[in-house]
Amino acid sequence: MKYAFKAMGGPCVFRIKARSEHIAYDHAQAAHEEVLRLERRYSRYREDSITSTINASAGKNSVSIDEETYRLLNYADTAFKVSGGLFDLTSGVLRRCWDFRSQTLPNQDEVERTLTRVGWAGVRFSKGEVFLPDIGMEIDFGGVVKEYAVDAALALLKKREVEGALVDLAGDIGAFSNDPGTPWDIGIKHPRSPEKAVATVQLANSALASSGDYERCIVIGDRRYSHILNPKTGWPTNNAPLAVSILAPNCLVAGSSATIAMLMHSSAARAWLSELGIPWLLVDSDLNTYGTLAGI
Amino acid sequence: MKNSLFVLSIIALTGCQTVEPWERGILAKEEMQWQASTMEARFRQQMFNSKEASSGTSGAAGGGCGCN
Amino acid sequence: MGSNTLDKAKSPALAALLSSAVLLPAYQSAQADAPPESSEIGFRYGKYQEDAVAGGDTLSGEKSGRYDIDVAQFNLIVPVGDSWSVGLTGQWESMSGASPWFSVYGADGQQKVIMSGASIEDHRAEYGVEARYFHEEGNIGFNYVNSKEDDYHSDSIGADASLNSADGLRTYSLALSTSVDKITPTRGVAPTNTLKADKDIHSIWMGVSQIINDRSIFNLGLGYTQRQGYLTDPYKYRDNRPDNREELVLSGGYRHFFDDQNGALQADYRYFIDSWDVESHTLELAWVQNLNNDIQVTPFIRGYNQSQANFYSDVVVDTGGYYSDDHRLSSYSTVSYGLRLKKNFGPWRVSATAERYESAEGGWRYSQVPNKALVDFWGYSLGFTYNF
Repeated sequence: MKYAFKAMGGPCVFRIKARSEHIAYDHAQAAHEEVLRLERRYSRYREDSITSTINASAGKNSVSIDEETYRLLNYADTAFKVSGGLFDLTSGVLRRCWDFRSQTLPNQDEVERTLTRVGWAGVRFSKGEVFLPDIGMEIDFGGVVKEYAVDAALALLKKREVEGALVDLAGDIGAFSNDPGTPWDIGIKHPRSPEKAVATVQLANSALASSGDYERCIVIGDRRYSHILNPKTGWPTNNAPLAVSILAPNCLVAGSSATIAMLMHSSAARAWLSELGIPWLLVDSDLNTYGTLAGI
Repeated sequence: MKNSLFVLSIIALTGCQTVEPWERGILAKEEMQWQASTMEARFRQQMFNSKEASSGTSGAAGGGCGCN
Repeated sequence: MGSNTLDKAKSPALAALLSSAVLLPAYQSAQADAPPESSEIGFRYGKYQEDAVAGGDTLSGEKSGRYDIDVAQFNLIVPVGDSWSVGLTGQWESMSGASPWFSVYGADGQQKVIMSGASIEDHRAEYGVEARYFHEEGNIGFNYVNSKEDDYHSDSIGADASLNSADGLRTYSLALSTSVDKITPTRGVAPTNTLKADKDIHSIWMGVSQIINDRSIFNLGLGYTQRQGYLTDPYKYRDNRPDNREELVLSGGYRHFFDDQNGALQADYRYFIDSWDVESHTLELAWVQNLNNDIQVTPFIRGYNQSQANFYSDVVVDTGGYYSDDHRLSSYSTVSYGLRLKKNFGPWRVSATAERYESAEGGWRYSQVPNKALVDFWGYSLGFTYNF
């Protein structure tokens, strides 16, 4: 059965295979609750979220956190190290300098001043608390919470012993199927023509996450500026890929790997993804497709 | 006979791989359980226990009956 | 599946990300023990029908029908709160027919069986209740079962616990049970001199179940049972058994799922030995074939082989000491084979099984001269469960 709702900034769908429609509906509601719980807890737009509390205390005092938040910060730290500093949860503050609707480039002084407020290396966290050292620093869980929510919703459905389930939160997908003969068929949409699939993938017990600047970017002349900003420069990386999709055992790892690849030069990204060893797809600014998922 | 059972178990244990939580779907299927239908298993075990001199499968012996 | 499969040899970057992710609560929950998500109620009806004893094997020269049992079963399991489940079981049996009373040597020097005459009719009712507590690392259960029939009354209690290892790949189990049985043989068709007798049964079982990989699992078990009290069969003409019996069981099981065939192989083995010198081997094999999402067909086969009790003989002469001519304590082998069908209809699940059991004539390790009273039978059952 299909269960649709809106959350995490886009349209979400659960597809559940269970013994009966009404049992599937109960499970879908529970998974929906879990997604909303994570959204409420980590959204920077909500005053009661842990994100807002942490950001409001930046430069002043540390904030106590629970086990889940600690583990997410720990994961972000691992991703920071693994990506050589490209994956940085404090880079969200850079969006203040960029106005993608106006199609104009930011003021370089402004970018440089804002960069002083970016720096995951300065964040202090431990099992029970987190501290952002400078006023104006911000943590944005947006880079992890949507993908984590896919995994959390899927884990909940798995615990409830359904025959199979697919969780699609605004394009980040996780799925499992107890019947190896019927996996879920997913199409990865083309970054410039969303009604076309650039590749199709079969998910039996894995996740697919995609990162791309499908809509938001600034084009000046023939140069494209992606909305995915490099935390070291404050600007999008030159020659960054147009879109990256990754298949991994869980959505969190798939999503962060895709984000990291989007912050490298296309050729460096292709080498990094290839070395990572999991199925990947990359579309560069010339619309060439690369990767183990391409051409399927 | 008892030795071969012991050796078999050692071989099997050393061959174990890590199975992540997300990979366990197949293991949760009914046909991969040790005992699927409790009622049918009980019916069959009672049939055998009352016609053979042996008893016991998994779990401690339960109560008796005058099964003849 | 080609390049879409997840490579087990991970790059260090990937390994670091995966091991960091796995610490998050969402990935942990898959390993905790929890009560079932929904309640389940089930009913099952079964019939057990023995083949007649051939005319040539009875002293009277006439064919004799044997035992027939009708069984109705009931099962209910309900989750309670976040950590408990409660279960109720019921079983009602109606037994009728004749059974062997004793054996003598006929004029031709062969063993002849004397049956118990006209039909016995007996009814049994059994009720059981179980409570189970689930926690992070496993679960603990307690149960009580009461069984009553005209001449037999049994009360038993049991407890069991299972514990999951930290990596979730191994489960340790322990079970204990004790039962107190009272026999008051009815002076019915098969004469008996016993008025009243008791017996106690104590049992312990330990097992370990191990996940080998994402498609296979195996288990090992060890059980010990002690029976004390009146163990003789009061309906046999000449039967006198020790008042003590100790039993040891070693078991092993294996399950493997085959993706290409969409089916699973199930294998179970049991070795049994006791203080009456009965030794047996049991091997069961089944292939569970999934047809589409809703139908399952399972052919199965079972082989059994036992040695005789040290006080058994096929015709008894009372020389004092222990003796029995009960064919169930003789040396013989059996093979049974059958078919099980299951179909889902939404929350309903229906299953039907037919099984044919035959006592082999000879040729196996323990067989000597087979007892003429060895039984062949058919077993059928049909049942359904409903989840709500």
